[in-house]
Amino acid sequence: MRYLYIDTSSSYLYASIVEDNKCIASVIEEFGQSLSEVALPRIVEMFQNNNLSPDDVDKIIVVNGPGSFTGTRIGVTIAKVYAWSKNIPITTITSLEAMAISSPNEKIHVPIINARRGFVYGAIFKPDYSIIMKPQHIELSELKNKLLSLDNYEFISNDEFDEELELTSYTPDFVKIIQYAKDNKEINPHAVNPEYLKLTEAEESKI
Amino acid sequence: MKDIYILGIESSCDETSASIVKNGTEEISTVISSQIDIHKDFGGVVPEIASRHHVKNITMVLESCLEQAHMTMDQIDAIAITYGPGLIGSLLIGLEAAKTLSFVYNKPLIPVHHIAGHIYANSLVKELTFPLLAVVVSGGHTELIEMTDHYKFHKIGGTLDDAIGECYDKVARVIGLEYPGGPKIDKLAAIGQDTYKLPIPLQDDSYNFSFSGLKSAVINLSHNLEQRGEEIRKEDLATSFQKVAVESIISKVRKAIVEKDIKNVIVAGGVAANNGLRNAMKDLTDELGVELSIPPMKYCTDNGTMIAAAGYYAYLDGRIADLNLNSKSQDVLK
Repeated sequence: MRYLYIDTSSSYLYASIVEDNKCIASVIEEFGQSLSEVALPRIVEMFQNNNLSPDDVDKIIVVNGPGSFTGTRIGVTIAKVYAWSKNIPITTITSLEAMAISSPNEKIHVPIINARRGFVYGAIFKPDYSIIMKPQHIELSELKNKLLSLDNYEFISNDEFDEELELTSYTPDFVKIIQYAKDNKEINPHAVNPEYLKLTEAEESKI
Repeated sequence: MKDIYILGIESSCDETSASIVKNGTEEISTVISSQIDIHKDFGGVVPEIASRHHVKNITMVLESCLEQAHMTMDQIDAIAITYGPGLIGSLLIGLEAAKTLSFVYNKPLIPVHHIAGHIYANSLVKELTFPLLAVVVSGGHTELIEMTDHYKFHKIGGTLDDAIGECYDKVARVIGLEYPGGPKIDKLAAIGQDTYKLPIPLQDDSYNFSFSGLKSAVINLSHNLEQRGEEIRKEDLATSFQKVAVESIISKVRKAIVEKDIKNVIVAGGVAANNGLRNAMKDLTDELGVELSIPPMKYCTDNGTMIAAAGYYAYLDGRIADLNLNSKSQDVLK
């Protein structure tokens, strides 16, 4: 089985091709403003460097957020159009799960992404990755309250925050991520969409 | 010659659309998913909401387009995509979809300027003759473009401030009409009397336009009437406003036809649906003995058909992009 993994939900492009528990190609690149320009060409390079054609993928796993709205949409669009047009099975994983799974530590994992104005996208996972708190848009102070009763946890993030936090930095472990997500329920490509976890400002101000 | 089938994808604002066009002139299938009812509640297009709907709709739009055409991606010769101008977050969805299809099916990717699309909507009706003047009028554009041949664009004038469609929508809001107000003004204008005095903007020697003064004049007029406790006669104001707005376009078009020896005038963009403008253009071109092309109503709003039609001529012109193609919120047609 050959898997294509795409995550464009942060300021990094993370992409990989994993075959039989082996990562045969990967991209980790901070891209600044040009994600829309470079995302697909970098993915194509992975295929070319390994003499793979677009037909050589058995399943696509795409990160559907939370994170950058525009960024997430870029990866999701590539993945769903690819999966739909080539009739390739597709499934999703959240950015926060990918962060937790990649941690080498035997701790409670608390992946967080800065969502500004004191808010984060965060989740809490047990060391075996089962869920304590599912991904949500939450005030950092509220998240910290939820952690009061828990011992031996780690914050995982590559972002900066207004307050001092001890952070485990995040580098995706593609093989572990794919092992975790490969049996996630297959989704009709039309129904693969970003999970924003937050309304648009226009909608919020209407409520 | 072998037939060329172009798949055109458009997502620059609030319509997700895909279309297949044969040889630049024959529409095979078109699907448009409009978000107009969604944005109505907000009084205008909300970019983030538009982007969210594009990503949700894109594969469904592509699938129904191919189904209606009874075609598969393998039968498509090239993929044309609106790369700009427009809302960046919206443009990106169509762009990534087009780039992905270009990669997985190894098909040429053709970048199309949104305005080129509006111009080439006319080639779906009849062949273009040159030199040609394209009058591009929409919510985002008011431009005069001279074309000496296919895909040879030369902008000779444009608005210095608001676009005409933007001005229509703002005036509509002032007199209490719901978004999108432009078409409602056009309807009211047909039944009103020209009783309000408004200035004709920018009567100068250029090919440029200005609509912000006209917009302010309407706002001031409505405030003055309000202060005096008088009710605005909406249909009369619509008539007076439309007369001035249309006249300011017509006078510059007349000048361009004469000075540039134009053979064919094209009206393109959303405001090409405006009956007041259509009628005035017909009178002008009849008077000067010039051919007039106005796209059918269905091609006046944003659609993939016009992008596929323009894409055909761009393809013949050798305008192929690589997968580094990026969207541009602003770009000059050239």
